Amino acid sequence: MMETSDKKVGKIFLVFAGLCIITLPLVVFSAFSFQPGEMTTTTAVGAQDLDFDQKVEAIFINYDALSKEYLAGVSSARTLDEYYSRRQYPGSPPYIPHKVEEPDLARVECLACHARGGWSEALKRHTPITPHPEQEACRQCHVAMTGENLFVDTDWASVATPRLGRSELPGAPPPIPHELQMRGNCVACHVGPGAVTAIRVEHPSRGNCRQCHVPDTNVKPFRRDNKS
Amino acid sequence: MSITRRSFIKTLALNSAAAAAATLFPGISFSAWKKLDAAAGGIEWQKTPCRFCGTGCGLLVGVSGERAVAVKGDPNCTVNKGLCCVKGYHSVQILYGKDRITKALVRKNGKLVETPLAEALDLVARKLQETIKSHGKDAVAMYGSGQWSITDGYVASKLFKGCIGTNNLEANARLCMASAVTGFLTSFGLDEPMGCYDDIDHADVFITWGNNMAEMHPVLFSRMLANRTSKGHVKIIDFATRTTRTSQAADRSILFKPQTDLAVANAICYEIIRNDWVNWDFVNKHVSFHKGKTNIGYGTEDHFKFQDKAESVDFEQYKEFLADYTPENVEKISGVSAKDIRYLASLYGDPDKKVVSYWCMGMNQHTRGTWINNLVYNCHLLVGKISQPGNSPFSLTGQPSACGTVREVGTLTHKLPHGVVMKEGHRKLAAKIWDVPVENIDPKPTYHTVEMFRALDRGDIRFMWVQVTNPMVTMPNLNRYRNGAEKDDRFMVVSEIYPTPTYDVADVVLPSALWIEREGFFGNSERRTQHADQIVPMPGDCMSNTWQIIEVARRLGFEKQFPWSEDTYIEDIWNEYIQFHDSPKHRMAPYNELKARSGIQWPFVDGMETKWRYNVKYDPAAKGDDFHFYGKPDNRAWIWLRPYEPAAESPDSEYPFWLNTGRILEHWHTGSMTRRVPILHKAVPESYVEINPDDANRMGIVNGMKVKVSSRRGSVVMKASINGRGRPPQGMVFVPFFDESYLINEVTLDAFCPISKQPDYKKCAVKLERV
Repeated sequence: MMETSDKKVGKIFLVFAGLCIITLPLVVFSAFSFQPGEMTTTTAVGAQDLDFDQKVEAIFINYDALSKEYLAGVSSARTLDEYYSRRQYPGSPPYIPHKVEEPDLARVECLACHARGGWSEALKRHTPITPHPEQEACRQCHVAMTGENLFVDTDWASVATPRLGRSELPGAPPPIPHELQMRGNCVACHVGPGAVTAIRVEHPSRGNCRQCHVPDTNVKPFRRDNKS
Repeated sequence: MSITRRSFIKTLALNSAAAAAATLFPGISFSAWKKLDAAAGGIEWQKTPCRFCGTGCGLLVGVSGERAVAVKGDPNCTVNKGLCCVKGYHSVQILYGKDRITKALVRKNGKLVETPLAEALDLVARKLQETIKSHGKDAVAMYGSGQWSITDGYVASKLFKGCIGTNNLEANARLCMASAVTGFLTSFGLDEPMGCYDDIDHADVFITWGNNMAEMHPVLFSRMLANRTSKGHVKIIDFATRTTRTSQAADRSILFKPQTDLAVANAICYEIIRNDWVNWDFVNKHVSFHKGKTNIGYGTEDHFKFQDKAESVDFEQYKEFLADYTPENVEKISGVSAKDIRYLASLYGDPDKKVVSYWCMGMNQHTRGTWINNLVYNCHLLVGKISQPGNSPFSLTGQPSACGTVREVGTLTHKLPHGVVMKEGHRKLAAKIWDVPVENIDPKPTYHTVEMFRALDRGDIRFMWVQVTNPMVTMPNLNRYRNGAEKDDRFMVVSEIYPTPTYDVADVVLPSALWIEREGFFGNSERRTQHADQIVPMPGDCMSNTWQIIEVARRLGFEKQFPWSEDTYIEDIWNEYIQFHDSPKHRMAPYNELKARSGIQWPFVDGMETKWRYNVKYDPAAKGDDFHFYGKPDNRAWIWLRPYEPAAESPDSEYPFWLNTGRILEHWHTGSMTRRVPILHKAVPESYVEINPDDANRMGIVNGMKVKVSSRRGSVVMKASINGRGRPPQGMVFVPFFDESYLINEVTLDAFCPISKQPDYKKCAVKLERV
């Protein structure tokens, strides 16, 4: 009696072990192939989701990819005036200020320089980094200028550019004065020799920018709904 | 910030010293924008659909005071999820061109003179009445647009078809989407796509048929690229007549000779059957086979008439018909190698691959446009790849409301908001909702667009009112139609926002409110209705196109049919209009829902949108256990036997080049709006003729050299572009049509698809000369 029951236990154990051996690689494989990044890119195409700042992932990934030399470098070539002169309003996609080859690949080629930055020998400049390298069809939004004159004059006007350094207290971290959609990756524009000097941060090694700098959004002051 | 009543900005407080731009181009300076008092933080964001293409992106327009000052993509809109293209990002600048028309103009002694708006509207009404009295009701016409708001088209239809009683109502969507409509009607019995943009996220293979999506539907193209990047195995195949940005971004570019897409589509089906990739369960249950007339003509002569006749056939007859279309035979006609044809067939045939086909003007502006639409549906129907996530033949729309206004409201000569004028039941329904005697609605269609402009030239039409379109740039064989419009006893009313070549032939110009200056609705390619609020005030005497029509209708004595108040007319008209579509096949969302959301897809039944039609899982109107093609009387989708027939005009020894025309990324249609946007105009300041490098070399033409492009109808002298953005094959030139200084439509041919009556802007014969 004892023997047979032991045999039974042994058999069950064997089957269980066999199953484990079969399923283990599957579990491991599926764990490795499950990447949250993959899932979000399929659903949130193009958009920086509104909750993207929760993880600050884009910032860290970009930050890790930059060399020490790049982080420390300074380019005096670009000014804030020049930066805004490429735009039609704060936050509009800037035009391409240099020659681009046609026929072009509608995508990717721009990213060779603008995904990570670096020195352009042809233009004698440090390349600015795009805050949204996941967008491949760059020239869908950024176009090169081939003409100089307007077709007819325009009455276009937009709001003033954001003022810098508006700390609430002396020495306090200033708030983020611009929209974050498509521009949520702080490191891209505020760090490195490609950045505009006036908005370049002095402490890039902190990494998690939005721990201290919060968006300055246009909301009414908090007022308690006094029901008591 | 409260926006209940915004104060008018009298002083714009400009920062005078706009920084001189230090650009890398010496000699080109781009000053910064004029700055308003308000800071960036003071912007109020409001949603609207984009003004331009049929993609229908959701935008958030930044408003400061009473001005639109910025744009961002609406992250809540499922169409674009926060992304725009360069036109969308700069769209608000179309409001602020210095030459904006803000007053009514009336031609007096040959000159357009500023006139009080009420006086101009009186004149329009009086001329309408006089013309009807002297020449009959079919001597007056209205020509509208796929950029009309839904309410514009609806009141135009009610006035012309219901009240005046003429079917002389057409829209420029005839030049743009008519073949897509007849394609849907002949294959499925109901207009508009079964699928939606979500297909992009599900598909494994994309085949673009003569469709440069990278420039014409850039936001959807980006979504395709993102899908490819995230999945890895996704393939994009560009099947086209010329190399474009889309070809370059695609995994494969396959070129075919103009017009031979008909033969290639049949060869794909030949291969699907030969390899037995047919989904027999689907075909036996849901498909029937039909053939129509052949050798159907091209409509280049006045009073051309054609009526197709469907004849039922069986699968064996279909197979027999396809016997001529072996890959080897078709290689000889099309220039596409038999290997590539087999490759395309294998993509449709592979049961493990989900396939989306995209097309737009390449297939629609085609003298066999209806046929090629049918033939691409055949490819999907044979393998049952339709009406499921990621399996979708998808007809992209050019204009923001070609679907919403022209196709759904039915602003075409034969259409009513529900159904067609030829059917008594449809006339009765319209007469009831419109509160007019049913005898008012004429059961006979009159003129389609090309024939309408021919009638204007002949003198059969004496009065024409044009809204939101620029036919004096876009009509093919333009010389004839401009001469017609300019004849002495023709009266042209033009509702416009800026001076254009159509404005130049006007007797009365009415100043129109533009896009976010008025409330309205658009309907995009994927059956999505989008409400657009008024966000900024109308300048000067500007008035919405809807209200212009109401004003004239009341002057004609139709107060009873046009009773609405200026405060609520858009909502009231919506509530009246949706009575036409009150069935599970087409129910529209209520006003308040539309106002709150970034677009809603119809059929909207019990609070649910319908993403995939004809599929029981998703479509409340579909019955049975899997698919139900309820548009056709036999409850099946129709496979059509459509042969290859040559183009209306092909290159010969005298005119040895194909002329292909089209759009580019930066400019919207005839450029009347986008050329007033600084960055878009500076990016592409003028049109050009793309020439193949080998042809240019042989003829001694270099980049930028002036070249004369001429056909049997007219000629244009313009700069050559070699190895530019697009590259035509040898024997073809391509010209964008946005530039009113180079009217390429004086060169094109007014041949059209005999079924859809849509002209072919992609094929005629020209010669090139150095000048």
